[in-house]
Amino acid sequence: MSIVEVQELRKQYDPPKGVLAVDGVSFDIAQGEIFSLLGPNGAGKSTTISMLSCLLHPSGGDALVDGHSVVTDSQAVKEAIGVVPQDIALYPDMSARENLVFWGKMYGLAGGELQTRVDEVLELITLVDRQKDRLEKFSGGMKRRVNIGVALLHKPRVLYLDEPTVGIDPQSRRSILDGILALRDQGMTILYTTHYMAEAQELSDRIGIVDHGAMIAVGTNDELVKIVGEEAHVDLRVDHYLDGMVERWAQVLGVTKAMIDEDHAVLLVQDANEVLPRLFEAAAAAGSRITEVNVTEPNLEMVFLHLTGRALRE
Amino acid sequence: MKRVWTLAGKDLLETRRDRLSLLFTLVMPLVFTAFFGLLFGGGSDRLPLAVWSGDTGPAATQLLGALERSDVVAVHRMTKADAEKAVDDGRQAAALEVPAGFSGDLAAGKPVTLTVVGVSGSTGVQAVQTEVSSLAGRQAVLERAAQAAAAAAGKPIGQPQTSVANLTAAALAMARPLAQQSLAHPVATLRVVQAGAAAGQVPTGFDLSSPGMLINFIMFSLLTAGIALIQERQNFTLLRLMTTQVHRWELIAGKVAGMFILTFVQQIILIAAGQFLFGVDYLRDPAALLLMMIATSLVASTLGLLLASLLKSEQALIATVVITSMAVSALSGAWFPLEITGPAFRFVGHLLPTAWILDGLRGIILRGFGVADVMPALVVALAWSAGLFVLAVWRFRLTD
Repeated sequence: MSIVEVQELRKQYDPPKGVLAVDGVSFDIAQGEIFSLLGPNGAGKSTTISMLSCLLHPSGGDALVDGHSVVTDSQAVKEAIGVVPQDIALYPDMSARENLVFWGKMYGLAGGELQTRVDEVLELITLVDRQKDRLEKFSGGMKRRVNIGVALLHKPRVLYLDEPTVGIDPQSRRSILDGILALRDQGMTILYTTHYMAEAQELSDRIGIVDHGAMIAVGTNDELVKIVGEEAHVDLRVDHYLDGMVERWAQVLGVTKAMIDEDHAVLLVQDANEVLPRLFEAAAAAGSRITEVNVTEPNLEMVFLHLTGRALRE
Repeated sequence: MKRVWTLAGKDLLETRRDRLSLLFTLVMPLVFTAFFGLLFGGGSDRLPLAVWSGDTGPAATQLLGALERSDVVAVHRMTKADAEKAVDDGRQAAALEVPAGFSGDLAAGKPVTLTVVGVSGSTGVQAVQTEVSSLAGRQAVLERAAQAAAAAAGKPIGQPQTSVANLTAAALAMARPLAQQSLAHPVATLRVVQAGAAAGQVPTGFDLSSPGMLINFIMFSLLTAGIALIQERQNFTLLRLMTTQVHRWELIAGKVAGMFILTFVQQIILIAAGQFLFGVDYLRDPAALLLMMIATSLVASTLGLLLASLLKSEQALIATVVITSMAVSALSGAWFPLEITGPAFRFVGHLLPTAWILDGLRGIILRGFGVADVMPALVVALAWSAGLFVLAVWRFRLTD
């Protein structure tokens, strides 16, 4: 049963000529599922989350969260959701506990229930020992944990996490990802946005790939990878003439796509073992020499490349 | 409403932890109150007495000379209109009118009347009355004595010339009954005329500086509150608040309540310091004072909300608050009484609510203003606050 149903959601800023940030996006999220919106910066992920959080009024379409419309019943939606924004939206000159107590009150908690939930969340984010320290003294990872903890205070039925691992060290990232998986195991429904393919692959039950405000593919990781079939992803570096080489490699038998990504070439190939010698030959014939080769099995990065013709990080 | 108080409480907690705001809200105003209080003179022992004279005769001149040498009053000569206004504004303890023909009537032995304008029964006016009565009585006796002397010296020529001793004796013989008559029936009588609500209190330097600095630094405290709001917009906490069950009106009300409480507490502390440290009598009418404090905090909090809504950066807010508070303070008479300025300046100043509030506060301190007297200031402040609030709500943004 779906707890989130998004139907043709649309957002245009300053219509009729303004930017169309979200263009008719539809998807649904089942109870207890982690659903990731994967796409590059500016794809419309945060705008979608903002509409689902009732911060932005949709220009068209609607979404039901826990059965309530984001357009007509925003207060009921807000009771059902917890939102972890991309930025650390906390008060740095207040302690971790003071922040949690304040936000708990904003979620309508009070008295003993509030204190109990604050204690539980401090335990969950493993900051019991540092609860009285002001946030300004915390590391980026610790602040991120408090940022997430705030959204859990009122036990939301759906948790939105908008790129919660941006700008933190690998250890903190690992801790946050493990925490998210633990929340899923406890039955929480999670909507997660990221532009990190690895995070989406690791966390998600299902993934929606967005680009230029549109949903270009939805499915499980395996279902999405099948879009590119058995194609392998080959990164190549040459000593010179990169531009000319990409055009020649695109003509090589077994190469389905070839493009430049910054200082190297990215190719999708049918069978890497068969195609690689031909690529070396073509380079030699053009007077270039291949200096580096990386072959990657099919993944979401390739799916995005396949569907948009661009790398995910662009 | 719980959320409104929680939001306000959070803002106050953050302000309390900010040392810079403590400096601007409490330390600086007290330092400046002391500085300007001492600059304005810190009070005089002599009662300020406005005097206008319609007579330039010898008796009037001598009476004014005696008043100027008095240890009780300090004479300020001015026109009748200015004298009455000065008493009305509480800048003079009383005013004295020396009528035209005073010297002639006195010389002719006719009864004369000096008019003292002030509040009958007030301490200041009583002291002025006593001093004027004493000096005028002495002047009358002198006048009679002089007449007697002149009469004695002016005996017709041809009569046997007598010695100086004889002349003196003759003069004294004529003067004594006249002087006795003067003392029994004073030639100069006093008439006390009611003057508005004037209480005849002598303003000290602190009476002028304390309310002025109060208004000045209430404006400065907008820095703290405004910066906090801009920072909340920049670090997305305002936006995040709107993902909770908080309504937009609760958010705005919480911000205004925070600024209101901050400036109100600031006023309590500064007024207490004025009352007990600088001897400024704020508590003459506590109800009127409370109304003026509410008016001040309303204007300050709505202005703070508007500035923080309009401006995007802390730098822009700091520059705007400094310029605004300086301009508003100067125009409102926070640094110097508007009474010493020209009519155009006074008119412009009274376009601002702070000038009205300062009138109210100084009226309470110097003239014993009550609730009815501060009502105009309250109405002006409420009107301004309503306008500022509507503008602020219209321009209120969650993000830049």
